[in-house]
Amino acid sequence: MTVAVADRDGRGVGEVVVTATPGSGIAASPTDPKVAVMDQRNLAFLPRVLVIGVGTRVDFPNNDAVSHQVYSFSPAKRFQLPLYKGEFHPPVTFDQAGLVVLGCNIHDSMVGYIYVTPAPYFGTTAAGGTLSLKNLPKGDYQVTVWSPYIADAPESLSRTVHVEGDESASFALTAALRAMPEPRPRRRDWDY
Amino acid sequence: MNAPRSALPTACTTLLLIVSFVVGSGISRADDRFTVDGDVDVRWVHASGDPSFLNGGLGILRFDPDHEGLELGRAFLAPNWRINDLVTLHAVADTYGDHNRNPVDLSEFYFVVQPFPTGAVRWRARVGAFYMPVSLENRGSGWTDVYTITPSALNTWLGEEFRTIGAEVEGRWLGASSGYLGDFAVIGAVYGWNDPAGRLLAERGFAMTDRPSTLFGYLGSPQFGFYHEIDHKPGYYGGLTWRHHDRLEIRALHYDNLANPDAQTGSGQLFAWHTRFNSAGARLEPDEHWTFIAQYLDGNTAVEPGGDYGIAPYRLDYRAAFALASFEWGADRVTARYDTFRTHQLSGFYEAPSDNDGHAWTFAWTRDLGEHWQFVAEWLRVFSSFPPRAELEEPVFQIQTEIQLAVRYRFQLAW
Repeated sequence: MTVAVADRDGRGVGEVVVTATPGSGIAASPTDPKVAVMDQRNLAFLPRVLVIGVGTRVDFPNNDAVSHQVYSFSPAKRFQLPLYKGEFHPPVTFDQAGLVVLGCNIHDSMVGYIYVTPAPYFGTTAAGGTLSLKNLPKGDYQVTVWSPYIADAPESLSRTVHVEGDESASFALTAALRAMPEPRPRRRDWDY
Repeated sequence: MNAPRSALPTACTTLLLIVSFVVGSGISRADDRFTVDGDVDVRWVHASGDPSFLNGGLGILRFDPDHEGLELGRAFLAPNWRINDLVTLHAVADTYGDHNRNPVDLSEFYFVVQPFPTGAVRWRARVGAFYMPVSLENRGSGWTDVYTITPSALNTWLGEEFRTIGAEVEGRWLGASSGYLGDFAVIGAVYGWNDPAGRLLAERGFAMTDRPSTLFGYLGSPQFGFYHEIDHKPGYYGGLTWRHHDRLEIRALHYDNLANPDAQTGSGQLFAWHTRFNSAGARLEPDEHWTFIAQYLDGNTAVEPGGDYGIAPYRLDYRAAFALASFEWGADRVTARYDTFRTHQLSGFYEAPSDNDGHAWTFAWTRDLGEHWQFVAEWLRVFSSFPPRAELEEPVFQIQTEIQLAVRYRFQLAW
């Protein structure tokens, strides 16, 4: 199944979380909990939006020259991770579905999102606005899209798709996208 | 009357320069639990007009025709020690190569206590001696102005007479968890040792220099330090900050040192000046090139030496504002700024009223030359009138121009 998300001008929207939840009677292949990566580079989370299955462990390497103090106070996962250079931290397990908003206690402009889903099939759209979910057994699926930048009403962002062969589902957004954070690279700023 | 220069600052500066180059080029980054930012600024200066107030005159620029040519702009070391996840210590030690009381002095020394947020409000406390959060220009390490060499008249004055020596608490609502990419902060502080604030403004008017006071040093004459507790009463400030999408920052602050205006030191040399002001400012960075900043400050100060001396109360209103536009591309940045400032003596004991009126234009070009070096050129022209100049047989109205070509070497050591 190919899912496409386009803004109100018809341009593809990247970094959109897509989940596909099979209807009853479909034997979905279970998602193996594995380790995902939420990197930090150039004072930003990379990727900015990460979708994982429930139970997945996420590694937080720090590839910046400076330390970070990553935190979340989202109900789905509260944690604090002081990521100093040269110190190893074991991955964090996300065992509850929901949205986890990440921040850095040192760099307030850093914002990241981990979307923890119980759905067996998921991914994020590429820059062109599409995502291909492969090897879906035939049947009905509830397909939902989510992004911190999409302002459309949630009910317009979820629909049932019947999968027979290589179906495609398109979501045409009607509301303008929210502005994305694009922290300006600054040299030697101090927070005065 | 030009004060003589001591050889000691030059020796200290040379030593600092040598240490900076040797250490700065040799140490690799291992960690950033303990870092030291360093900066050495050497410049060629051409200046016109009255002798600077720093040299005993009533000119309002840092340099003057007797102090130009090759000059040390500033050298500083700014250690930052992340003691643990909660507490960080930050300090700035400066040398300016002028006739300060101390050739090397601290301009800031404070602890930051910032726990991880456990809800949408993140608390932070600063304890020590630090700049209050007003300037939107001075955002470089060591409170350097990243847009020009010389800060606006408004921020010059804040750097000269104000340092929070006390404790500040900030509660910041972090919007990201609620789907809003911005935040909102409420700030409050209680401090002491800021009772003389206002005296320099009354005696000299506004100035434009990149020579803030240090914690234990002097600026020009009379040779009094700035940070004294005279009335044994704390002052306060309260402020609001709103950041929107890392593009717009708006700040407002109310300052009142709550000084008892008839308090004085035992020697009768220093009085407590009751100084209060409101300030507001905005910085807009709409894209990766442009920055726009506007700041406004409006306040008054009063001192009442008291009936013991038969001296009338002194009251001064003041206000200052500026607007700045800056364009950055690649390693280059050009900036233009217009300043306006005014003081008005309502009543007082000076023979010539300290009614200061002026405006200024500043144009600057900065170019980064690799990671460590920066070149800055600045042209500054200030038009100002100040009646007390007549007492020094100088014209009350003056046009002063300063051209500065600075080379800065900057480094960071990390352990």
